Amino acid sequence: MNYDVVVGLEIHAELSTNTKAFCTCSADFGADPNTHICPVCTGQPGALPIINHGAVEYAIRAGLTFDCDINRYTKFERKNYFYPDLPKAYQISQLDLPICVNGKVELSTGTVVRINNIHLEEDAGKLFHDDFYGQSLADYNRCSVPLIEIVTEPDMHSAEEAVEFVSKIGLYLKYLNVCDAKMQEGSIRADVNISIKEKGSEKLGNRTEIKNLNSFRSIQRAIEYEVKRQSEILDNGGTVVQETRKFDDTMGTTSSMRSKENANDYRYFPEPDIMSIVFTEEDIEEARRNIPLLPHQRVDKYINEYGLTDEDARVLTLEKYLSDFYDETVAIYPQYKNVSNLFQTEIMRRVKDTEEEVVPISAEGFAKVCEMTDKNIVNRNDAKTIIRIMFEEGGEPEEIAKANNFIVVEDAGETEKFIEELLDSNPDLVKQYFDGKTNMFGFFMGQTNRALRGKATPTLVRECLEKALDKRKP
Amino acid sequence: MSKLLDLRKQLDNKEISSVELTKGYLKTISEKNDKLNAFITVTEELALKGAEEADRRIAEGETAPLLGIPLAIKDNICIKNERTTCASKILENFKPTYNATVIEKLNMDGAVYLGKTNMDEFAMGGSSQTTYFNKPVNPYGKNCVPGGSSGGSAIAVAADMCPAALGSDTGGSVRQPAAFCGVTGMKPTYGTVSRYGLVAFASSLDQIGPIAESAEDCGLILNAISGKDAHDQTSRNVKIDFNGLVGQDIKGLKIGIPKEFFGEGIDEEVKDAVMKAVDFYRNAGCEIIEVSMPTLKYAVSAYYLLACAEASSNLARFDGVRYGFRADGAETYEELIRMTRSQGFGEEVKRRILLGTYALSSGYYDAYYKKALAVRQQFKREYNEIFEKCDVMLTPTAPTVAYKINENVDDPVKMYLADICTVTANIGGVPAINTTCGFNKDGMPIGLSLTAKQFDDARAIQFADFFEKNFKK
Repeated sequence: MNYDVVVGLEIHAELSTNTKAFCTCSADFGADPNTHICPVCTGQPGALPIINHGAVEYAIRAGLTFDCDINRYTKFERKNYFYPDLPKAYQISQLDLPICVNGKVELSTGTVVRINNIHLEEDAGKLFHDDFYGQSLADYNRCSVPLIEIVTEPDMHSAEEAVEFVSKIGLYLKYLNVCDAKMQEGSIRADVNISIKEKGSEKLGNRTEIKNLNSFRSIQRAIEYEVKRQSEILDNGGTVVQETRKFDDTMGTTSSMRSKENANDYRYFPEPDIMSIVFTEEDIEEARRNIPLLPHQRVDKYINEYGLTDEDARVLTLEKYLSDFYDETVAIYPQYKNVSNLFQTEIMRRVKDTEEEVVPISAEGFAKVCEMTDKNIVNRNDAKTIIRIMFEEGGEPEEIAKANNFIVVEDAGETEKFIEELLDSNPDLVKQYFDGKTNMFGFFMGQTNRALRGKATPTLVRECLEKALDKRKP
Repeated sequence: MSKLLDLRKQLDNKEISSVELTKGYLKTISEKNDKLNAFITVTEELALKGAEEADRRIAEGETAPLLGIPLAIKDNICIKNERTTCASKILENFKPTYNATVIEKLNMDGAVYLGKTNMDEFAMGGSSQTTYFNKPVNPYGKNCVPGGSSGGSAIAVAADMCPAALGSDTGGSVRQPAAFCGVTGMKPTYGTVSRYGLVAFASSLDQIGPIAESAEDCGLILNAISGKDAHDQTSRNVKIDFNGLVGQDIKGLKIGIPKEFFGEGIDEEVKDAVMKAVDFYRNAGCEIIEVSMPTLKYAVSAYYLLACAEASSNLARFDGVRYGFRADGAETYEELIRMTRSQGFGEEVKRRILLGTYALSSGYYDAYYKKALAVRQQFKREYNEIFEKCDVMLTPTAPTVAYKINENVDDPVKMYLADICTVTANIGGVPAINTTCGFNKDGMPIGLSLTAKQFDDARAIQFADFFEKNFKK
């Protein structure tokens, strides 16, 4: 039978604030275990949380970007459950009055995904299970790092739409400077709700929730697997059990974690240690002012102000750090089209498959290379070599060009001399030129350019060649 | 009358050094503690080090209200590297890595810490008998409880083992033991004293407060420990001079008497003593008016729902994973927390955790917790109405005097109902002070409470101070 697929998402995005959500510990990823901890984030007796207003502002930015209403009054709740990575045995989260509600995001398919809410909460620590010693070790560095959870309505209809949604959210959060959206570091994770229903039917089927998917590929595969599994159950006249399932990345399958009957009772209640927050219009305006140009706005700018093609604009904005680098470069050297060309051919291909999301050379250096190329100080092939050396060995473009003899030193005398000799030694070719074979001009240009590489610019060669031919005009 | 001002004078005049003073109290403690069990831990080394430092500062000409004054600290307030047990097996050997804000503030003043006082386990109780350690005893004898939960602090002050102490008050835990031991104790307005470093029982109700020999001494300590704290978001930026009204005339001021606090269950001798105090204030020129708190009959239920709900969450962190007691022999994480908590907590604490967990459970939240929150709002309204009509409200602090050890222990509901006179101040977040207004025929002290509106703490102290200085007991 044919089924409609219904998918809803809960995306957890770690905010890139300097400090944690409820204490002043560093929120940086990758430090030695248990070095970014304090009495508050390890739940020591008597310690109290203090809200990080930066994290709240980040959440408002995200809400405004995804068309949400910002609740003027927001408060926090405790979500209670026992787990060794959760030192207080509750997570400070939001339930009743989250910061953002009622948003939406449009996908390329035309589907509009409604956002139910975006709320602020804290992350848990990490456990390492040592099978050899039979011990579990806890690292609390990640404890209390701020997260936003973006909760959608079940508005997506395929794995592809879900992946596009997550990818678009990640891209926008990066442009907002609120999340680095690195799935491999777990800074974006998704829980996926999936159900299927008879084609065209209004009635939603029983849904399953797949927890903690941390790559586009696993989101895609988990949904595909679940759709297949649920279809087979319905085809055979069965009923899908409403439950939480986990995804096995190696097998590509899902399996039951807990059913509705065994679901956690989180015993939410208002967090008494944190005062509710009342936002003024000014608070919200401040967050709005902190929203930089977003991908679609940068595309418009590239097309309308910089005169780039639609395709160039699209390619340049696919990754924030690349678009940022391009912007930095043209701020120094505003030759938009030329910079775009050299950037796409020489920079993008070198960083395409790296994970770090940084261009390892400076925008100043790259701007210099673009300028030297445009002004014929170096020729285009040598410019590529300069960029390669900058990537591989570092260094300043002018010094690299000098050291490798790439600088064009104009020597008109030598150019004239060479052309005279060239024409003299090829009288029949000269004759052909005057007989109408004008493409001989190109041949002479090419010969000269090759021979005088680094000593004459094409402009100079053209000038001298025209003069020399003029003299021989029959 | 003010013990602390008297000691201040002696210290500043070099009539006595802080070390001598401290050694004197340590000696009294060593003589009496075996019998009274006021202290769980005596911090002799810390005390002498603090006293020496204070003497150095005094010698350099420095002075501060509490410089060199020895204090006792309830054992749920964190002092860095000193055992802080909350009178529980689960924290039997726990040493905090940081100082509570009140300790930081007292350190600036130069106070000295004699030790950590006994209490009901995690401040849950009104007798101090739920302690995991030796049971504290009322210094007035008769084999009576000292009250609770800050029983150790009240005993220590009453038995002259310290001139003043810190307690904490979630539903009367400073005022009621002060009443039972015949000393003065105050719960300030919620938010005036930082809770950072006070091991939480019920966060929205907990407040640190002083126990001392007089209202003025309570005010001195509150001046030192109060103020907005960057570590506690619920602390308020309201500057109060707690002794600002001390000595000002109370003539013409209005005292509200809420009739519901004098109804069934209140001991006749307690009622008589409190009414004598009312007469005293009337004779001093106060206007006595009747006020009403009709919701009082729901106070204990609402209080225990709110307090237990918050406690069930606050105490969930004691799982044996990071600190404190850990049960042996667990195979899995679930087993570890079940065994640790089963063995580590006492009966009363377990009862309240279970009550609170139940009250927050899905399907019961609306009927219990949410309703209790609504009752809380109603109390705030009733307090507002009362304080439109009067300056302070006068009530008994407890329905009875201190009862016998082992009385009431089998009937938790009866125990809970005994909190009727004190819990409303916590629910409403208002300040209240206990002072002694008489003794019953057995010689056991009787306390009265003066409650003022939020941030009008100085008014409550003014009334208590006037009583202490002018009432002939």
